Amino acid sequence: MSYWKEVINGGWSLVEGMRVTFRRLYRPVVTVQYPRQKVELSPAYRGHIEFVKFKETGTHKCVACGQCQRMCPSNLIKVQGIKERAKGRKVGTQYFIDFTRCSLCGLCVEVCPTKTLKFSREYELEGVSRWDGVIDLMARLGETRP
Amino acid sequence: MAEQFLEPVVENVYTLNLGPQHPSTHGVLRVVLDLDGEFIVRTDPVIGYGHRGHEKMGENRLYKQFMPNTSRMDYLSGMLYNHGYVLAVEKLAGIEVPERAKYIRVICSELNRISSHLLWFGTYVMDLGGFTPFLYAFDDREQILDILDRVSGSRLTYSYCRFGGVCQDLDSVFIDMTRAFLKRLRSRWSDYENLVTKNIIFIHRTRDVGVISLEQARQFGVTGPNLRACGVAFDMRRAEPYEVYDRLDFEIPVGTKGDALDRYYVRMIEMEQSCRIIEQALDQLPGGAFLNPKVPDRLRPPKGDLYFGFESARGQTGYYIVSDGSTMPYRLHVRVPSFGNLHVLVEAFQGTLLADAISTMGSVDLVIPEIDR
Repeated sequence: MSYWKEVINGGWSLVEGMRVTFRRLYRPVVTVQYPRQKVELSPAYRGHIEFVKFKETGTHKCVACGQCQRMCPSNLIKVQGIKERAKGRKVGTQYFIDFTRCSLCGLCVEVCPTKTLKFSREYELEGVSRWDGVIDLMARLGETRP
Repeated sequence: MAEQFLEPVVENVYTLNLGPQHPSTHGVLRVVLDLDGEFIVRTDPVIGYGHRGHEKMGENRLYKQFMPNTSRMDYLSGMLYNHGYVLAVEKLAGIEVPERAKYIRVICSELNRISSHLLWFGTYVMDLGGFTPFLYAFDDREQILDILDRVSGSRLTYSYCRFGGVCQDLDSVFIDMTRAFLKRLRSRWSDYENLVTKNIIFIHRTRDVGVISLEQARQFGVTGPNLRACGVAFDMRRAEPYEVYDRLDFEIPVGTKGDALDRYYVRMIEMEQSCRIIEQALDQLPGGAFLNPKVPDRLRPPKGDLYFGFESARGQTGYYIVSDGSTMPYRLHVRVPSFGNLHVLVEAFQGTLLADAISTMGSVDLVIPEIDR
């Protein structure tokens, strides 16, 4: 007796399950066809780091203090600067990051004393060699990007 | 190595390597099974394929620099691991945390717990052969990832907590999104129930399968939902309340038999309880600062050691930190729940069918990088 009861109850449970699936057929599609459609990035999105271009000076404020270089857990930042005048501040001249090793923790952005680093909004970063992951932030600053 | 090949061949026993690349081990886990026909006579889990040396890495970097590592041990509940690490270091160094930050952390941790359980739900049902619930679970999980992405800027490895707070404040959009998500998730329970919980095939594949007795659970140090399925209401959030959990009202679901179906029930109810926690925390969310600005970059905790245990999505996780007064930990050890949860399977597999072993292994919710770390 209980066998037949289970068969009927079990069969009904499958029908109930199929009903859920069937109802879903008429719901709007939730997936996004990526290359053709793009989702909106969150305001806090973390891409690789880049320089902030300050309006007053039209350039970055990097003083090549090297704090980001020391704070980076993966040692992937290379920053160099020169002193233009003997008593003046240092100015950053070279800034390279090896993005292939970056874990996007954001410690460099937090530690920067002049707040000249920020996260970019790039996420399409395909390349054919490991050197494509090395990003020259100084060169990026010169280019005009949307 | 040579002895392995010289082992005497046992009559009528077939040795099967389950893994390291097997869809239902969810990572690089190898389980060597000795089979007598379809029945398992011996189980030997082989771990360590995903060893990255996180503990050793902790010894040669600043306390702050270890933060990204924490979310990479258990990549499904990165926020919880992050949260536990900052709690441990804050306790060691005696850092004060603003009230708002405590609530923010609890909200984000519980959201992460739901997302981890949803992923487990989807993949477990997929292990048992049902593909559709997996898509629905991921649809819901995607909402959580979007919500957490909004504040933390990443979807899986968050690094959101900081010593003395969190790195970014919640905004009203986050709160609205979270409330809308909770409403939506609650409307989905009936779908999940009709699709999986009541499904006769699912029940037959999980009921009385992979029973872990209370005695075995104690011997192997099983914690989390797997222990609660054996009937023990042990939860670190209640046993040793941290943050604001003592101010929030939630229930600890327990099972009775400790079989795969009980583990399933416990996790499903736990998700509902997490929803309750988030709702209460959102209601009680105070204003004020979200980060204690006095915490130095190069933290120097006083000499001493500390073990801090907390409840991650899989059970009791703990950080044991030894400080010698310098800027780096002298030793950093992580107690992971999946290690105990995996090794109890040696006994739970004994004498079961191979197909049931897959069902059991899926039901204990293993994350292999967490074991290997």
